[in-house]
Amino acid sequence: MTTVIETRDLSKTYGDVQAVNRVNLSVEKGALFGLLGPNGSGKTTMIKMLTGQTRPTGGSATVLGVDTIRDPVGVRGLVGIIPEQETPPSFLTAMEYLEFVAAVRKIPDIGQKADWWFDFLDFADKKNVLCKDLSRGTRQKLMFTQAFIHEPVLALIDEPLINFDPIMQDLVKDYLAGYVKNGRTIFISTHILEVAEEICSGFAILHKGALLHSGPVSELTARGEHLPSFFLSLIRKDRHV
Amino acid sequence: MFELFTAMVKEEWRVHSTMFGNLSFALFPVMIFGIAFMGSFLLPLMKNTLPAGNLTLIVHANYLMLGIMVGAFGLLGNEVMNRRFGQASLLSYSARSLPLSERFIFANFVIKDTVYYFFLWVLPFGFGYILASPFIGVPLVNALLLLLTLALSFLFGLCGVFFLSAVYARSRLSLLLILLATGAGLAGLAVMTGMNPVLFFPPLLLNSSFTWANFLISCALLALLFSVAIVLFSPESVGSEKTYKDSFAPLMRRFSFLPDPPLTAKDSLDLIRSGSLVGQTIFSFLLPLAVIWFFLSLLGPFFPPHGLLFLLAVTTGVIASTMYTWVTMFDTFGPYACLPVAVSTLIGSKLTTFAVLQVIPAVFIASVALLSGEIAYLVPAVVLALSVAFYAVGVIAWLCGLSPSVLVYDVKVLFIYLILVGIVLTIFTAVAFANPYYALSSVILIVPTWLLVEKAKIRWDALDPAGF
Repeated sequence: MTTVIETRDLSKTYGDVQAVNRVNLSVEKGALFGLLGPNGSGKTTMIKMLTGQTRPTGGSATVLGVDTIRDPVGVRGLVGIIPEQETPPSFLTAMEYLEFVAAVRKIPDIGQKADWWFDFLDFADKKNVLCKDLSRGTRQKLMFTQAFIHEPVLALIDEPLINFDPIMQDLVKDYLAGYVKNGRTIFISTHILEVAEEICSGFAILHKGALLHSGPVSELTARGEHLPSFFLSLIRKDRHV
Repeated sequence: MFELFTAMVKEEWRVHSTMFGNLSFALFPVMIFGIAFMGSFLLPLMKNTLPAGNLTLIVHANYLMLGIMVGAFGLLGNEVMNRRFGQASLLSYSARSLPLSERFIFANFVIKDTVYYFFLWVLPFGFGYILASPFIGVPLVNALLLLLTLALSFLFGLCGVFFLSAVYARSRLSLLLILLATGAGLAGLAVMTGMNPVLFFPPLLLNSSFTWANFLISCALLALLFSVAIVLFSPESVGSEKTYKDSFAPLMRRFSFLPDPPLTAKDSLDLIRSGSLVGQTIFSFLLPLAVIWFFLSLLGPFFPPHGLLFLLAVTTGVIASTMYTWVTMFDTFGPYACLPVAVSTLIGSKLTTFAVLQVIPAVFIASVALLSGEIAYLVPAVVLALSVAFYAVGVIAWLCGLSPSVLVYDVKVLFIYLILVGIVLTIFTAVAFANPYYALSSVILIVPTWLLVEKAKIRWDALDPAGF
């Protein structure tokens, strides 16, 4: 198996706060890998470090063989990213934003691809609306589209389902599950444990910036355990340590 | 509701102090105080070349302009809340979660700005002068009067822009009519009295001879401007959806000769669709420069021939350099963080858009040269203005990266900016005064500008992108 993400003692501190503490993680090609953890456990910081949005204060990380510290822009060129909070630029329309993304990523003729996504995520009627006037859910659809429009071999997505309605969540879950079948990889950060259990092949649990567990979901199911209960017991145990 | 006001003041302070540390920000008024205090000791020396009345004029012009700039920053009609606060602020959105109207919040916001910037800028300056006054033989009452009239100047700038921007948000035609009527009124006053209408600026009148009647008239005028601004304020209607046909691709093709066509096309659409290109040009560029031109025109006899044009060119360059904030105010690095774009690329693209915008100061200075009958000096004046603008923006990019409008309140940043820009301004003003054609030598500033921009790219690439 080829490793697409590898971290060694990856750490990040913000002032006195240790957001991520010496995390060693590896993700294989073709995985739909879930990074799980309670609020403030360091999931978003991990994704930011893996995509070169923020520099680690210790350790190292390679994504698709590229050092995220030495070449953060190179990493972002190879992968698709959905940040947790960022919204598309205010004064472009949805279609213009996709054209902007395509131009920056140097993807020619995205017209048909964009139309497919507008139809697939059911927001074709918002194509010419300014991004600042879009609802939160529609912005999320647009951010989802920009992450996948260039069909990256690896996508790192932070809480991708949080603003979607149940129908859209179902559609997106199916899309993600199908996406990895062609040998592509998805690294997903979420605290919706049921979703992680349903679609992820592997997972890691972060708590207070430290890695508590990493392994395949099949290991749990083979033991007759469920991811949510395993997660809760692990976190509770760690809180008492 | 006093709670909202105090919370807004705390929020503004915390936003600033979080960005560059409590000490750095706390030192900002101390630095203003120091400048005023030490500068006051130069007054006896300056009196020999520049009468005290003219110094008063310059200081009042500066504070009027400061009020205009503070008011204009982000206060453009419907964009007011989003621009000023963005998603980082919770208080601006309290109308959605608390039983408070948008207009009430705006009123608090205006009062907060008035009080906050009074303590940040006006009081430290006035206090420095007051403390120095016994040593330079200025009666204390005169120093106190100066503090009062400077505060009024600042408020006239602030409330004037709030008023004009509120009118602008409602009707651009009304704004045009008001500006035309004001211009005609001032011209009429000049014709009737044979005096420069600037001398009728209420704080200046008060400063030259204080009367309670004039003071009350000034306060009433301010209250009127403020009240009308509040009444006319139109919050952005929730749920409105603006649609546009695709302009991005054609614009990008038009900019294909530039280094980063997609980024420049995006910045251009931001400027056009937000109304900033027109609004900022009027409120943050033409209005302050018109005021400065008016005030400088009174100082004409103290300059060498053609000195006024070149002094205005230098000033235009400095104000034009703030156009960099027009193109950086729309977005943080955040939206680009999911794309293969480096901070240095963004700085480069913002500077490209800035360069495109420099057609505005170039046309302005050319127009001034034509209108003042100094067409022979049109080229040197334009070259000087643009050279200063590019050099100053190089300094800003190096010091502030993509966050010029917030980092300017870092005392270290401001101090270095004042030194680097001040020295260059002094040199090239003197050069232009010596011989107008020597102003052409300012093209040499392209060298430090290029070095500063390259240093800016390296410096800001090496740091984590700021989230503001």
